[in-house]
Amino acid sequence: MAPKIEYYCPCLAESPYPPPPHLASSSYSFHALHNLFFCEECDAVRCNRCVLVEVSGYYCPNCLFEVPSASVRAEKNRCARNCFLCPNCRNTLTVVPSDPPEDVDSRMSPIVSTTLGEPPFFLYCNHCRWDSAEVDITFEKPTGLAAQLQKFEDSAPESLEFERLKEHFEPFLRASSSSTALPSASSHHVHTNPITAAASSALARDIPGVGKYNPLSRSRIGRDKAAHRQEYPDYKSRVEVGHAAALSGEVDVELLRHLETVGEVASLEQRWSNSWVTPLRASDLKPLRIPLQSKKSKRCPSCRHILIKPEQKAQSTRFKIKLVAANYLPAIAVTLPHAQAALEMMKRSSAKSVSAAAAAEEQQTAGALIAGHSYSFHLAFTNPLYDPIQIRLAKAVVPAHMTEDAEAAERARRSTFQIQLPSAAFPVGAFAEAWEYDDEDEDMFLDEDGVELLDARGKKGKDGRGKSRSVGIVDKRANVTIVSGEVLIPKEARGDVKFNMLVSYTYRSDDPEPSEEVEVGTPSRSHGTNKAPEMKNFSFYTVVDLGSIMYREEPKLTADL
Amino acid sequence: MPPIRDKFTIHSKAVVCQDVELKGDITIGAGKPPMPLPSGPIVIGSGCIIEEGAIIVNRRKEVMRIGDDNLFEIGCRVESPTVGNCNTVCTRARVHHTLRMSSYCVIGAGVLVVPTEDEMLDDYTTIYGPSAERRIWSGRGKVQEMDLRRKHAEYLREMLPKFNRLRRGDGT
Repeated sequence: MAPKIEYYCPCLAESPYPPPPHLASSSYSFHALHNLFFCEECDAVRCNRCVLVEVSGYYCPNCLFEVPSASVRAEKNRCARNCFLCPNCRNTLTVVPSDPPEDVDSRMSPIVSTTLGEPPFFLYCNHCRWDSAEVDITFEKPTGLAAQLQKFEDSAPESLEFERLKEHFEPFLRASSSSTALPSASSHHVHTNPITAAASSALARDIPGVGKYNPLSRSRIGRDKAAHRQEYPDYKSRVEVGHAAALSGEVDVELLRHLETVGEVASLEQRWSNSWVTPLRASDLKPLRIPLQSKKSKRCPSCRHILIKPEQKAQSTRFKIKLVAANYLPAIAVTLPHAQAALEMMKRSSAKSVSAAAAAEEQQTAGALIAGHSYSFHLAFTNPLYDPIQIRLAKAVVPAHMTEDAEAAERARRSTFQIQLPSAAFPVGAFAEAWEYDDEDEDMFLDEDGVELLDARGKKGKDGRGKSRSVGIVDKRANVTIVSGEVLIPKEARGDVKFNMLVSYTYRSDDPEPSEEVEVGTPSRSHGTNKAPEMKNFSFYTVVDLGSIMYREEPKLTADL
Repeated sequence: MPPIRDKFTIHSKAVVCQDVELKGDITIGAGKPPMPLPSGPIVIGSGCIIEEGAIIVNRRKEVMRIGDDNLFEIGCRVESPTVGNCNTVCTRARVHHTLRMSSYCVIGAGVLVVPTEDEMLDDYTTIYGPSAERRIWSGRGKVQEMDLRRKHAEYLREMLPKFNRLRRGDGT
């Protein structure tokens, strides 16, 4: 497995420190960079677990028609135009006219250029060649098919029963919602847009007892329900339950008794996407209207500013607002140089005749971390900002109260491997379009680097923490800086090499005049002076996963390398 | 096995492009087939469309017979000893030499059909999906499809000679 890095979102945590990465539960707090958002107002990372999601519009994925939210309910969340799913293979269906009356020897007939549609029309699947005439669905006109099909759907006994239930609970729900909606709405639903409000109230209305996502109001609904229960009459179903079950059950048993192949019974996938009870026999399945999809916008949970807002048009895949973490935080890529070297070697040696599986296996062993060795790893930082940044790395400190209870375990774990990171701050160049980097720029960067590199090494030397050679800046170009760290794995170590890393970086905020001399400024220093542009500091936690430790006995191959 | 002797018989109305690789004894009826690569004799009927990169191989000694109005789409590979009429083998589908096709069969895109024993596909069989599911097509719409097929062939017959060098049979 390739080494990887994930970023921490503090939404689940009670303490400001990330959970130790060896806990299985910690994986819920770490996310890949491309899944994260960044709230400018709160200056914080947000993840998909903590953002508020709102529906900003519904559309049909097939015809890309934007469905107004009012008609979404009436059309039962499915496309009301001419979009259908094949009940057999779930491909989209096309409307085709019937064949012209067949001649005796139609194959030899000359090309008929005017095979224009003859009614009846039917739906036809180009993939599996299912057609709706098999289930006796044909149409006189090739338009407005959904309305005709919805008539079938609406006349289904389940649908009728559901309508009746809704009708029955309507007065009760109106009473309860009027009493509860007001207090909760004032605090919680100020910023929701009308579509979301409609969606959430629709949800809450359809399922009594399950209120809007709000524990407070839910308990209140429950109380109200208890209070109002006596005032409403008992519900009488359309069909007696016992009667209906007996009816369908008998038929099903009879069908199963005469079954010849499994294919006659509709598979789970074929029945899954239907709203109502579906026929058991595969040959009875009806075409489905395509379910609508929604575009969602996302808000910061604390300040309620919008982080993601898609463009309204269904055809457009762009966003009006897009505050993703990748535009704010430096992207980090982890590599193990020894593994890459081994891969290169293998590619060269076994270019001809190794099967894919064997090659994959070899790759795994080649990149392995063997107990009793020390390895260097590279961290490549890519700066997305238009200003240069200074990055400082640190191993995450585990706060005292967390170590107290599991101190022994923690210590045992800690002894498994030692991580060394460059302790000095290092610069990462500003982001620019590719053509804007020229040779001059490179030279300038190099000069700076010289100083920086020396500085880093000098400090390393003073610290006297082992081999300083392998820890420091390795490479620097354009907006990418590669630094290397070192991991030392003792002989008895087991498990994964995973550690939390605190990344803090300083960046210039809102300053028109770029000046070179503050490049090395720390956030504390630059805050005081007025002439220098304001420097801001931001830190975030990451978890670095270098892979699991292997024992020396197993991978002989790597030992050779 | 004796060395393969090339002998091509191409109908005067057939359109065969120059860069088609032909090996062995091949007879092509009126129509337009490029790209076969066979080992035993192959007889291709009229009105067949064989697209780019399609590979048609005869694995057996007997004559491989391909009927009329078949469509072999881009990159497919067919080794069936017999193919009937009006079949469609979709893009990148592979048909093993143990399978014989009758008429109006459809092998879906990317489907791999490898029966362990010799098998004859019924008329109107459709094989589709990643697990090569099968069903029988009702045949509704086949007239329109064949019209389209013939128009397709007609168009290619017109357009291909404009952009490709053509190959003529040994006889002409």
